[in-house]
Amino acid sequence: MVDRLSVLCFAGTYGLALVCDLARFAVRGSARWYATIALTALGWIVHTLYLANRIWSIHELPVGTVFESLLVLAWILVAIDLYLEFRSPRPVAVGVFVLPVVIAILAAATQAPRQGWTGWGGGWVTFWGVVHGILLLGGAAATCVAFVAGLMYLIQSNRLKHKRPPRLGVALPSLEQSERWNRGGITVAFPLLTFGMLIGVGLMLGAKKSGGGAEVLGWSDPKVVATLALWVVFAGLLHARYRPEWRGSRVMVLTMVAFAFLVFAMVGVGPFLPTQHGNGLSLGGGPAASGRTP
Amino acid sequence: MKLLALGVDHRSAPTSVREALAMDGPRRDEALSALRGEFPGAEFVLLSTCNRVEAYAASDTPESLPGVDDLTAWLARFHAMPAPSLASHLVAHHDEAVVAHLFRVAASLESLVLGEGQILGQVRDAYQGAVARGSVGPILHDLFQNAMRVGKKVRSETGLDQGKLSIASVAVDVAREVFDHFADKTVLVIGAGKMGDLTLQHLAELKPGKIVVCNRNLGRAVKAAERWGGRVVEFERLNQALIDADVVVSTTAADEPIVTRDQYLRVQRARRNRLALILDIAVPRDFEPGIGELDRVMLYNVDDLQAQVARNLQGRKKGLEPARAIIERETSLCLANLRHQRNAGTLLKQLGAYAETVSERELQRFHAACPDLTDTQKDAVAHLVHRLQNQYLHHPRSALKSAATSADKHDPHALLNAVRHLFGLGDGPAHHS
Repeated sequence: MVDRLSVLCFAGTYGLALVCDLARFAVRGSARWYATIALTALGWIVHTLYLANRIWSIHELPVGTVFESLLVLAWILVAIDLYLEFRSPRPVAVGVFVLPVVIAILAAATQAPRQGWTGWGGGWVTFWGVVHGILLLGGAAATCVAFVAGLMYLIQSNRLKHKRPPRLGVALPSLEQSERWNRGGITVAFPLLTFGMLIGVGLMLGAKKSGGGAEVLGWSDPKVVATLALWVVFAGLLHARYRPEWRGSRVMVLTMVAFAFLVFAMVGVGPFLPTQHGNGLSLGGGPAASGRTP
Repeated sequence: MKLLALGVDHRSAPTSVREALAMDGPRRDEALSALRGEFPGAEFVLLSTCNRVEAYAASDTPESLPGVDDLTAWLARFHAMPAPSLASHLVAHHDEAVVAHLFRVAASLESLVLGEGQILGQVRDAYQGAVARGSVGPILHDLFQNAMRVGKKVRSETGLDQGKLSIASVAVDVAREVFDHFADKTVLVIGAGKMGDLTLQHLAELKPGKIVVCNRNLGRAVKAAERWGGRVVEFERLNQALIDADVVVSTTAADEPIVTRDQYLRVQRARRNRLALILDIAVPRDFEPGIGELDRVMLYNVDDLQAQVARNLQGRKKGLEPARAIIERETSLCLANLRHQRNAGTLLKQLGAYAETVSERELQRFHAACPDLTDTQKDAVAHLVHRLQNQYLHHPRSALKSAATSADKHDPHALLNAVRHLFGLGDGPAHHS
C-alpha cells in the first residue's frame, strides 16, 4: 500500500507537469515552461528518493521485479526528458510526448507483479542476472526515446507536407533533430538489447545444464520468443537506417513497430501468455531476483 | 500632474514630413537640451523611429508644461519648418491619453507592422537617451519604465509578435522546422532576381555553410554570388547543384517547370535521400508539384508561403483584443500609481516642512527662556530636537513611501488622508483612483 501511494505521488506530479505543458495553447509566457520543468523535476526527485529508499531496504539494485524495472525505466525516461527540455528551445513540446509514456509506464507498474523470479539464486548467476536486467532496461529506455522521436518526426513531417500550422501551440523539434534523437535511440538500444539478451540466453542455458527445476526457461517460452522477435525487428531497423531509400518515414514507422514489440515483451506476455520468466517478468527482471515481495 | 505627447506617425504624416522631423543620436540630444532650456520646469523624452517622431512632456504643475502651440512652434523652429504646415500633421494626446498611447506604441499596436519587435528597443533607447541628457524626471521615469514592462507583457501574453509577416522571413521559419543547424548545409539559389536576393538575405541569417547561385545569365549570377559570398554554378550543371544542395530557393522567370518529378527523383537518389527543402517562389512554378510528394522532400511554393503569412497575420490580430484589455488595465493602474506617488511626495514635503516649523518655533522659545546657553549647547539641543523629529517621523514617512510604491495592491488614499488629518496638514486632492 505504501509503495502504491508513493508511486501515485510522483506519477501525479508528472501528470500535473503534463497538464502544465499541454496548457501551452491557453497560457503563453515563460511561467508555464518554468512550472512544467519545476513539476517534472519535483516528481523526479521524489521518484529518485523512492528508488534510493528501495535500494536501501532490499540491498540490491531495484531491477528484480516487473514493478521495480518499470519504475527504473520511467525514472530514466524522466531524466532524459529533463535533459531534452533544457537542450531544446522552450516552445518545443518535449514533455507532451515523453510524459504520457512515463505515466503509462507507471500505470503499468502499479498493476505489475512484485514477486521476483526464483529459478536461480546466489553467486555469479545473481551478478549476471542484474547485468542482464540493467542492459535490457537501458535498451528499453533507448527504444522509448527512439519511439518518441519517431512520433515527433512523423507528426512534423506530415504537418510540413500539408503546410499546416502547429496545433494547440505545440511546436516540435526540426525533422533533422527528431531524426538525430531517433538515430541515437536506435544506436544505443541495439547493442544493449543484444548483450542483455545474450546474457539471458547464457543464464538460461546454464540453468538447463545444471538441471534447474520446472522454472527453467525454454526456447519456446513466450517471453523468450517475444524478446527474440524484438531483437530481429531491431536488427531490421538498424539495417534500414543505413539504406537511403528507407530513411525518414519508413524507419520511423519501423521504430513504432519495434516499440510495440517492446511493450508486448515487457508487459504484454505475462497477462496473456503463460511464461516461466518470473511470473510475467519484465525485460529488466533478471534471474537475480529472489522471490522478493514489497 | 500634467502630460502631453505631440508628434507624427505613418498615419498622420507622409514620409517627407517624418524624415524632416527625424531626430537620431546627436540631433536628438541637441533637441533635448534645447527643450530643457526653453521649458525648464518640464520633463522630456523624444521618440524617433522610421514611422514615428514624438515628444513626450510631463510636469507636476500645469504652468510648467508647454502647451500644444508652444511645442509646435518649438518643433517648427528647431527643424526650420513652417509651423502651420507642420501643425496639420501633428497629433496631440493629453494626460491619461498619453499613458494609453505610449503603452500602445510600446506594445506595437500603433506600428505599421502589427506586433513588430523593434519598437520596444526604440522606446528604451529614447528613454535612456533622455536619462543621459538629464531631461527625465520622476513622472516620465515611471511612465517609460511601465511602458517597457507593458510592451513585454503584451508580447508574452497575447502572441502579438508570433509568426513572420513576409514571404522571405516565413521561408526562414520553414527552414528552421526542417533543419536544426545550417553550418553544414548548402543553399542553392536558382535565378538571380530581387525575390531570390531578398529570400537569401533572410536565409543568410541562418549562416549556411555554402551559398551557390545558379542562373542562365552568368553575369547576374556572379554579382549575386559576390553579394552573399557564394559561388556560381552554370545552369547546365543544375542537377549536380541540386544533388549538393540542402535548401533550394528557386525564382526564375521560366514559363514551364525547370525541374520535373522524375528528374528530382534521380537527384534525390543521388543525394542518398537526405532531407531537402525547396522554396519555389517563382511564378509560374519552377518545380513540378509532384516533387513535394517525395518522402524526404519539403516543397513550398509562393502560395504556401503567402498562406502562412496570412495565417500569421490572422494569429496576431487575434491578440489585439487581449492586448487592448491589458493596456486598458495597465493604464489605469499606472495613472493611479503616478497620482499616488505625486500625492505622497507632496504630503511628505508638507510633513517635513510642518515638522521643521514646529521644531524651529520651539527652539526659539527655548533659546528665549534660556539666554545663557553657549553656542555649543544650543547646537547640541538643536541636534537633539532634529534627531527626535526624524525619529518621530520615520515610520509615517516609511509608511507613506511604501503605500505609494505598492498602490497596485492597496489604495493609499485612506492612509494619506489619515496622515493629513493626524498632523493637521489640510485637505488632500480629490480621489481619482
